[in-house]
Amino acid sequence: MGIIVMNKCKRYLRLYRVLVSQFLKTIMQSKVDFLMGLFGFFFSQIIGIAFLYLVFQQIPSLQGWTLDQLIFIYGFAQIPRGIDHLFTDNIWLVAWRLVVNGDFDRYMLRPMNIFFQVIAEKLQPDAMGELLVGVILVVRSLTRGVLIVDGPHVVLFFVSIFAGALIYTSIKLFFAGLAFWIKISGPFLQVAYQMSDFAKYPTEIYARGIRFLITWVIPFAFVAYLPASFFLKAGTSAMIIGIECGIAVLFWCIAYAVFERGTHVYESAGN
Amino acid sequence: MRKSLKIYLPFTLNELKRQMAYKGAFYLFILISMFGAFINYYLWMAIYSSSDKTTLGGMTQNEMIVYVFMVYVTSSVVSISIANFVSDDVVKGTVAMNLIRPIDYRLSLISRAAGNMIYHFLVPSVFIWIGVEIYKVKVFGLPAVSVWNILLYLSSCVMSFLIYVLFDFCFGMIAFFTTYIFGLMMIKNALLGFLTGQLIPISFFPEVLQRAFDFLPFSSMVYTPVMIYLGKYSGKMLGFMLIRQAVWVILLYVLGSLIWKKVTKRLVVLGG
Amino acid sequence: MIKVDHISKDFISPKKYPGLKGAVKGLFSSEKTVKTAVDDISFTIQKGEIVGYIGSNGAGKSTTIKMMTGILTPTRGECTVAGIDPNKRRKENAQNIGVVFGQRTQLWWDLPLSESFTILKEIYNVSDDDYAERMEFLNRVLELQEFFDRPVRTLSLGQRMRADLGAALLHNPKVLYLDEPTIGLDLVVKDNIREAIKEINEKYQTTVILTTHDIGDIEELCSRIIIIDEGKKIYDGSLTELKDIYGTKREVSMEIKQPEKVKELHFARLFGVEEEDCRSEFDKENSVLCVTFDKHKIQAPQVLSAVMDVAEVTDVQIQETELAEIVREIYHHGVIER
Repeated sequence: MGIIVMNKCKRYLRLYRVLVSQFLKTIMQSKVDFLMGLFGFFFSQIIGIAFLYLVFQQIPSLQGWTLDQLIFIYGFAQIPRGIDHLFTDNIWLVAWRLVVNGDFDRYMLRPMNIFFQVIAEKLQPDAMGELLVGVILVVRSLTRGVLIVDGPHVVLFFVSIFAGALIYTSIKLFFAGLAFWIKISGPFLQVAYQMSDFAKYPTEIYARGIRFLITWVIPFAFVAYLPASFFLKAGTSAMIIGIECGIAVLFWCIAYAVFERGTHVYESAGN
Repeated sequence: MRKSLKIYLPFTLNELKRQMAYKGAFYLFILISMFGAFINYYLWMAIYSSSDKTTLGGMTQNEMIVYVFMVYVTSSVVSISIANFVSDDVVKGTVAMNLIRPIDYRLSLISRAAGNMIYHFLVPSVFIWIGVEIYKVKVFGLPAVSVWNILLYLSSCVMSFLIYVLFDFCFGMIAFFTTYIFGLMMIKNALLGFLTGQLIPISFFPEVLQRAFDFLPFSSMVYTPVMIYLGKYSGKMLGFMLIRQAVWVILLYVLGSLIWKKVTKRLVVLGG
Repeated sequence: MIKVDHISKDFISPKKYPGLKGAVKGLFSSEKTVKTAVDDISFTIQKGEIVGYIGSNGAGKSTTIKMMTGILTPTRGECTVAGIDPNKRRKENAQNIGVVFGQRTQLWWDLPLSESFTILKEIYNVSDDDYAERMEFLNRVLELQEFFDRPVRTLSLGQRMRADLGAALLHNPKVLYLDEPTIGLDLVVKDNIREAIKEINEKYQTTVILTTHDIGDIEELCSRIIIIDEGKKIYDGSLTELKDIYGTKREVSMEIKQPEKVKELHFARLFGVEEEDCRSEFDKENSVLCVTFDKHKIQAPQVLSAVMDVAEVTDVQIQETELAEIVREIYHHGVIER
């Protein structure tokens, strides 16, 4: 049993390498586009930091959070977002186009996992812009000494990033999966995805309804703000990362089940 | 005048009809566009509650809340991206056709943008505006805005719209040189969001930068009409702001004409 | 090899009302329209058969094929392909089948064709030896080497179709589905494609199912045809049988030196049959007489000798009714009565 699973993993890793390297060959022809996209995402995130900087010219802290801490939350939020953006950007196409125009057929015809095929078809280099912002801001936070640095925190940092990316992917996959029933689910996906903007700031500034929504319904608070506080404030329980992982797994299971169910009600095009 | 109205009015009406046809999805996009306003609202509430001063950047908390929503109302009416139209036309290859027709390409784009503007004014801006007014009077106990200020605000908005589209036309010309304008548009949007005062009032910027912004068209796009609405300008200052907007309309119009001449020359040579 | 058992597919869509009011009404109403695209179809196909699956546009051809390939899940009934239910075990089924949808390529648009084949080799887990052997064969019958290094988007339609066919066959599938494989191709290329399909079928005993509007495809390739109309199967049998039942009309054209003498002949009365079982007609130049008759009631020599009795015949041509016409008839009249 174990050997079969391992062989399967090996095979999929190999397939991923083959598929992605082919994709990279086609996009490497347009380096200018790559740089502009990267810079575009980089820049629009940097603006957010400039905003915080200007605000903090007026106030010493925001409901107990210092500028350095907020910058960490902001930057930390970019990393899972960037990772998800880099690897699973093709999910957007499912929501907008592939189901409604019948191009999804091609995934149904190949002897590979369908979700795997969807994400292996494309890498989104623009995401490097977000990752770059994230890494720069986290490194800055390290040099400013606002983070707690010890063994468990470092390990959980990476765990949290991975779980956060999975939450992003799950939310995208769930809403994209709705396309199998309603043909085009892009607008709904867009609404859900945009909710992540709320999570760039401490969630306690919002009204209770919004806080509940972004914590438990579309749980972007668990991607950024809640785990970030674990790395910032001594004495915060590691449970928060545990809950984050739990939510990531739960949402992934729901999203994947919806997507999988959706492939069975897929109606192709031309009817 | 009447003749050109006859030529360009259909562009406006078509665009209006096209927008009306979207229905469902469009309301979701309105919702998305309001996210930003709500985040800003809560953020400013928190910022004011964290400050021991009652005014920040020359504004009280109540004024700031009116500012946040009026910026949303204004910018969704004013900032209609015609660079999108241009890039669409370039990708579809319909630009050449537009050159053959005996119409001014830029005017036709602006007419289309006007259709968009009217639609955005009706859905949802005007309702939010009314909501803001009611909230302002009932909850904050501030006086309602005067008819005079409404008129000034609206005429300032029209100029803002012209400044925005004329600027965006110049920007859209880049579409003739690269196919992937997406990244640049992101940069533009981010930059404009910042420099027009959508994200934060210009008065929060350091003195030096504020001086520099006086020589750029961006604050005239959103900040000026909202400040007029708030009644922050009066007398000579008010006149100066309106004249500055008018000057930008003229300058950007001339600049656009020059660029367009250069681009069309290139198009003819290369064959668009 | 393929067993389709009382399979049906319904497409359910919310009822649409016109206008803005209608859109609002549509939001709140739960009325649905059900369209049955495939209605209770059954058939069995043996290994190595080439079956033509035909019907007019919207008859449900593609829907049936999509159910057999695992793209669509049947609403009722089930099918098995090589013993596997494509819906329950999609991946295994995918390994067993090859698919060419005429309008849509499954190749990588921006990559050289050779790269597409390298990727497919990985996807279908084809061993190096098998790959070499298969490529050698495909190169021979489809002449892929001509454009093997060119990006797929630069290929002509005919080249792309050959490439797609090759791509569908690389893993030596047990069943090959072809949806409109020759659509839009010129005659020479059509012929090449048909030859290739035949050779593949012979060499590997590949079961082939093709949908087509091109009667030539069917005549050249299919020993058996299944006709469906409005989702229902209306014919399943051999081509010759179909022609026998339906293609009862035969046509004799004769070039005649003295047309005026023949014009006096009344053929139906002469043979004692109904008017519609024997008609005659001259062409515009009045030199060629064309007699159409029921081959079960009258023999061609009878017609010939009747004419030759009164005039001199310089040339004769006898023609069976074209399959195209039969199919057209069937689309018009619906179910075939046997």
